[in-house]
Amino acid sequence: MKRKLKRYNIPAFIFLAAGSALMLFPFVWMVLSAFKTPADVYAYPPKWIPSSFKFDNFNEVFNKIPFWRYYANSIFTSVCQTFLQIFISVTAAYALAKLKFPGSGKVFAFIQSSMFIPAVVTMIPLFVVVSSLKLVDTYAGIILPQISGAFTTILIYSFFVSVPNELLDAAKIDGCGYYSMLSRIMLPNATTAISTAMLFAFLSHWRSYTWPLIVTNKTELRTLPIGLKYLVQETSSEYQLMMAASLMAIIPILIVYIFTEKQFVRSLTLTGLKA
Amino acid sequence: MVRKYVLNGRSYETAQTVAAAVFLLPTIVTMIFLFVLPVIQVITMSFTNWNLATGVRNYIGLKNFEYLFTDKTFGKAIVNTFTYSAFKLSLDLVLSLFIAVLLDSYIPLKRMLRTIYFAPVVVPIVASSLIWIWFYDPGIGPFNQILTFFGLPKLQWLYHENTALLSIGLFSVWKGLGYNIVLFLAGLQNIPDSYMEAAYIDGANSKQAFFRVKLPLLSPIASFVIMMGIINSFKVFTEINVMTPGGGPLNSTMLLVVYVYQQAFTNGRMGRGSAAALILFAIVFILTVLQKNISRKTVHYE
Amino acid sequence: MKQKFIRILGIGIILTMMLGLCAACVPRETVTTTTSLPQTVVAPTTQGTTEKKEVLAPGEKVKISVWYAVSGASGEAFKELVEKFASENNQIEIELSYSGSYADTATKVSAALTSGTEPNVALMSAGPLFTGARENYFIEEKINEPDFDRDDFFESGWDYSKYKGKVCALPYGISTPILYYNRDILEKAGIDINNPPETWEDLYRLAKTAQEKGNINNVNEFWGFEVRDVPWLFKTMLNQNENPVVNVDSNFKVTPAFAEESAVEVATWWKKMIDEKVMPAAQHANAEKTFLAGNCAFIVSSSNRISRWVTEDGVKVGAFPMPYFKKKSVALGGNVLVMFNKNEKEDYASWELLKYLVDAKNQTEFALKTGYLPIRRSGLELDVAKKALSENPMYKIAFDQMEYSWSYWHFEQMGTMDMILTSTIEKIEKNVLSPKEALEEAANELAREIEADS
Repeated sequence: MKRKLKRYNIPAFIFLAAGSALMLFPFVWMVLSAFKTPADVYAYPPKWIPSSFKFDNFNEVFNKIPFWRYYANSIFTSVCQTFLQIFISVTAAYALAKLKFPGSGKVFAFIQSSMFIPAVVTMIPLFVVVSSLKLVDTYAGIILPQISGAFTTILIYSFFVSVPNELLDAAKIDGCGYYSMLSRIMLPNATTAISTAMLFAFLSHWRSYTWPLIVTNKTELRTLPIGLKYLVQETSSEYQLMMAASLMAIIPILIVYIFTEKQFVRSLTLTGLKA
Repeated sequence: MVRKYVLNGRSYETAQTVAAAVFLLPTIVTMIFLFVLPVIQVITMSFTNWNLATGVRNYIGLKNFEYLFTDKTFGKAIVNTFTYSAFKLSLDLVLSLFIAVLLDSYIPLKRMLRTIYFAPVVVPIVASSLIWIWFYDPGIGPFNQILTFFGLPKLQWLYHENTALLSIGLFSVWKGLGYNIVLFLAGLQNIPDSYMEAAYIDGANSKQAFFRVKLPLLSPIASFVIMMGIINSFKVFTEINVMTPGGGPLNSTMLLVVYVYQQAFTNGRMGRGSAAALILFAIVFILTVLQKNISRKTVHYE
Repeated sequence: MKQKFIRILGIGIILTMMLGLCAACVPRETVTTTTSLPQTVVAPTTQGTTEKKEVLAPGEKVKISVWYAVSGASGEAFKELVEKFASENNQIEIELSYSGSYADTATKVSAALTSGTEPNVALMSAGPLFTGARENYFIEEKINEPDFDRDDFFESGWDYSKYKGKVCALPYGISTPILYYNRDILEKAGIDINNPPETWEDLYRLAKTAQEKGNINNVNEFWGFEVRDVPWLFKTMLNQNENPVVNVDSNFKVTPAFAEESAVEVATWWKKMIDEKVMPAAQHANAEKTFLAGNCAFIVSSSNRISRWVTEDGVKVGAFPMPYFKKKSVALGGNVLVMFNKNEKEDYASWELLKYLVDAKNQTEFALKTGYLPIRRSGLELDVAKKALSENPMYKIAFDQMEYSWSYWHFEQMGTMDMILTSTIEKIEKNVLSPKEALEEAANELAREIEADS
């Protein structure tokens, strides 16, 4: 058999490196701009390197908005949403993938169809429901309306399907019920798929903007994206503060991502994603 | 002894059906509250002239739909939405596939590069939009500075009707590219080496091997990427709301979702907004059904 | 695999713990007066104290919520005043929150009204719709009570707070458009700042000169004139040219007036500014940045920029009185205080707060900190106002303009009208339609919107 010698594909590398420079450019600009003075910001032609590094911008962000509070809210709501969403996704995916019951195809189509509807469409009716339950301006009001997870259900479903039925049959003979089958067989065999789904869910909740905007009125309940938007409005044209705040907003999540990235890609590979 | 029952000629185990019902219960409950009831309400609202600012709410039949079908801005929003989706989807698909294939080859610093391409995905859209607004600033933004450096004419970016939607599109591609790259990469890494080796044995060169073996094997993922792409590009809202509030120059960034938001919330006309939302829903639904049917015929499963 | 899963879980747990720490150390934004102040603190208004005994039992507390849509210096100043009120009235507890931009706040208030979660008081724009259109004219009753000096307010301020002819909000952060200039540019172009332009024609000539001779940054894109809020200036100009913007009949039926010849004249002047390249076409969203970068000589923007731009380093800003066509006039803009009725006790507390906020001294203080304008004539007589006038001549221009300020008729579709006007001007600027065609189209469009709602 002809075996190709492993040699670095240098043209591909050069192309990718150039591309990654483009991808990184906004981040570089953001980091540099976070230290600029107002004069640098309005300098013409634009200045790339700040004339002096102004660390005060970060302090000013803290003075203008309760930044840590927004941060804490974002993390708290995203984590809660993620766990709830994954819980309902896992149970539904298990029922759809491994249990035989009438109408399973219809239930699947029903769940899938909920993906098509843009959030803006259902926002007001949802708001009416949420406020009649007196949940406006509460964490529950932010969290609960965002936990339906068609995407994660389908993602986990497509992995559950590939768990061999023989494993389940063997467990059945050992006296396992349907409930313990989920925890003893399905979950241990699907940790990667589930953690991928968690990451996807966390990311989308972490970035969510429109719903928290409409359902929070109190400052102390605001999440980070809303806080950033309001900082822009409050400071109007102070770009340097926007950049300082954005920088602080994304660094922790970037770090988390860098640590989980490898695992994330591998689990996608294993899931195979057959939609 | 396992208890069974028969429905429509098929036999089911009672205990299994009960278990399925229990497992599906959380999903069904959330779906009813977050999807079914709101959609029913949107449908009823679309036949009213509910005005949020004044509180008026009367049944007016099909007037909202009549209004929409004669409204120039609504027509423009539909055209813009399709333009945007087509632009974003095609650029996204080609670039992400290309980069994924390159990343799949044997290169140094592979993991770092992969991380960099994915990085924009994890940034809150509000934060990255803010950075890009500055980039696009015709006066003090670096993009125009770069254009001038290369002796090219300056652009108005977000402030001109010819470039505004394109600018949003470029931003969206930057922001979403990594997501699709990772999906394609997963697909590529799933292709067993033996397939490619078999192709080489059959005398295919690397180009032929790519187009005849790899690409067809990637088609399920491409189909998934396209479906999610359609759905997401019809949902795009945050970046437009932050970068070109109000629909941009001459309504050039007025997409359907923005139109719905503007009618329902900025103008407070819930009825009209609901009617537009229903039409949006119908379009997305039809497109995804179409896409599924087409891909059922063309997608190559292993 | 399992290890990886545990790692993700671990990260989740760490994040959750971080959250606990943050929540513990972040101060609450709410202004509460669960106060350590002694009971002897006197309420600000004397009639207030007697009334207070009737509505609130001694020691009884009432809590009201206040939303405000102003940010930056204005937000700070507003917050300070409300906090001061709360500390002087220890029976009233106030929950104060910034509710985002005018548009965001309007959305939030509308949404809240659908479910009865609206605040007691909101500082917002276009407020009359949310009360007047819902038949809430509580304010009209209150301001006609003998202890309220209604006539001390500029009449235009009341007009700005009316719906169908009756007052249903209190004017508060009122502003007018102001013509600002960049001092360095005018100096370089040799323009005498002691000789302000009278009419828009004069301004056109000055802007042209400034553009030709005052390019301080040596940039290609250098402009004479820009405007931030297009419909606002356009409406001002319409009234200056004796066009009422909309006509209203005795049944309060509104018909657009901007297809008339007087409006076409205004649009034609506007078009000239574009054709002569004195003003860039349709970049108004970017106008302030261009001006602050020193790439534009004149800008029309809200008077509340006075306070903001004084502190901006790098740019030397001055102001001229608004130029005019046939008569002097400036359209009022800015925000109003809206009050939503809940129950007797809360309404009492809300009205006490409103009275405190529009008190001549308090409102003038707010105005001076923010560049909004005093809404009461007696406010202009206060020492603080006189001092500010002597220190910053831009205030004089803004205050003087109040005498000929004007408010157009508020009606249901006024937000839609602003959107239509914005896109109409855009079409004129971009040569899509001639001024006459564009205005006719706009008038038809507005008429259609009004028709659709009736």
